[in-house]
Amino acid sequence: METQVTPVNRSSAFRKAITSGRWIEWLIGFILALFSAAMFYPFLWLIFSSFKEGADIVRIPVSLLPQKWTLSAYRMVLDPNRANLPQAYMNSLVVTTANVLTVLFTSSLGGFVFARLNFPGRKILFYFILSTTMVPFLTLLIPLYIVMKYMGLLNSLWALWVPSIFSSFGIFLCRQFVYGIPQDLYDAAKMDGAGDFAIYREIILNLTKPVLSALAIFNFLGTFNAYLWPLVVLNEESKLTLPLILSRLANRFGGMDYQGVMAGSVLVSIPPLIVFLIFQRNFVKGIALTGMKG
Amino acid sequence: MSQTAQGELGLRPMKQLEKKGGSKRRYSPLAIIYSSALTLFYTVLFIIPFGTAIWLAFQNWDYLTKPRFVGLRNFIKAFSDKYFWQALKTTVMFSVVEICLGVALALLLALMLSQMRGKWQNLFLSLYYLPVITPGVVTIYLWRWLYNPTGGAFNTALALFGIPGQPFLASPNQALWCITAMIIWANVGGAAVILLAGINDIPTSVFEAAKLDGAGFWMTFFRITMPMIRPVLVYQLVVSVIGTVQMFEPFFLMGGPGFSTRTLSLYTYQLGFQSLNLGYGAAVSIVIFVLLLFATVFQLQRWQVNWEY
Repeated sequence: METQVTPVNRSSAFRKAITSGRWIEWLIGFILALFSAAMFYPFLWLIFSSFKEGADIVRIPVSLLPQKWTLSAYRMVLDPNRANLPQAYMNSLVVTTANVLTVLFTSSLGGFVFARLNFPGRKILFYFILSTTMVPFLTLLIPLYIVMKYMGLLNSLWALWVPSIFSSFGIFLCRQFVYGIPQDLYDAAKMDGAGDFAIYREIILNLTKPVLSALAIFNFLGTFNAYLWPLVVLNEESKLTLPLILSRLANRFGGMDYQGVMAGSVLVSIPPLIVFLIFQRNFVKGIALTGMKG
Repeated sequence: MSQTAQGELGLRPMKQLEKKGGSKRRYSPLAIIYSSALTLFYTVLFIIPFGTAIWLAFQNWDYLTKPRFVGLRNFIKAFSDKYFWQALKTTVMFSVVEICLGVALALLLALMLSQMRGKWQNLFLSLYYLPVITPGVVTIYLWRWLYNPTGGAFNTALALFGIPGQPFLASPNQALWCITAMIIWANVGGAAVILLAGINDIPTSVFEAAKLDGAGFWMTFFRITMPMIRPVLVYQLVVSVIGTVQMFEPFFLMGGPGFSTRTLSLYTYQLGFQSLNLGYGAAVSIVIFVLLLFATVFQLQRWQVNWEY
């Protein structure tokens, strides 16, 4: 279990092979730092603009820093009469939490079921699930909307949860991972008279933690940042998720009060940022884990 | 990697289980419950919608009146519809440029990052990864502001070099490439992380052997690094194509004038949910499916990688 790829913690062999002189490392470091600055620069605009005043943000000549620091833009977007941001925050967090927990459960259980248990149609079902990933979401967009309409789920947060109860990618990922867990462990527990669900709960769930944390982060970002599907199924303002409310904000304040859009953007970016900072280490590990297929 | 590499296809573990268990068919009740739920889910949310998409592509439907069978007419219409061709051209041009530049830049970054010490790698990677975790909508409104012709960051910067202000998103010629640049900025960190993981995974012994044989920098790069990371590179290309062709929000929320930035994804959405031309929208979405299928199969064949799950 300890042999995972952790690209951040050990220097690459490629590095040892190439970098002989230290000055090369400094030069490359300098180029990378320049690039980082370019990558980060837009965020500075985002943050500083959100603290500007209406007159300040459209002032010419342009300055990056606000003339006068103010929280008026934040007050504007948090005012329930002008923008429903707090409600959207609730909606987004509820949907995202529900989706992440559901997918973690169904994927880890699915990984165990497909890797270790015997049931009719196991092979066919697995290949079928894999093949569904070949159909782009766009092709399913219109008919999925019709299905949601028939189920009476339009304009409700359930419509965001139901289609993501199972994840093909998650099941596949966990199945590969469970194969790596020694079969003997399963057999021994079975010998001791443990039921399949108990084995899943006591052994498999613990051992699949590395892959589950990666899956959790991907799923969090995917659900939290989703735009097209919520746009199609939700329309009442009290049901909207954060990305949707942000584009309503932009339509409302877009012209003169762009600092409102920027303040809203900062607030919308905070949850993913927190998740990223907490799980940063697992993140890179997880990407290595999931990206190494090929 | 090690765990996933062990998980092969085939049903070896199950056969062992059968041998040990003695009885030939010993179905697990848990597995039966799980697979039933799974089958129900995929029937309602995949088979029925996918079947409906194919069925709809041969109908004329506007939500209100009854669907009417029109045979292949939706597909014939697509191929004589200049808006369809324009959307197809935009999608292909945008995707090719985005993927080529994006993957090349990511590869360059990953190669440079691989020369850094662990903690610096980590720091730079986190910075490059920030745009990836930022919600797409935030990126779009931020860049719309940066591209603003009067008072936007880019024109302010250009003015420093004495270059006249550009219209950016307001120009039919520039809008698509402005969006492309934004998407490359947003995605390059994600691709770099995966490619870097590929580079760091090459065993030390290979490089040591090359060094003993007297291979120089370029030799090592072209003969060892590139072939060794090819599977990761192809994976990255395939994933990029699938993601890029389906990209929606940038074109929906920051589209240029007229139809200059309307891609197939936006066209499908407009047909299905704005002009309520469901049959035609479904036909266009089937075309996207077939295009992506061919693109994926072509890439995997071309670069000879076993797409073995």
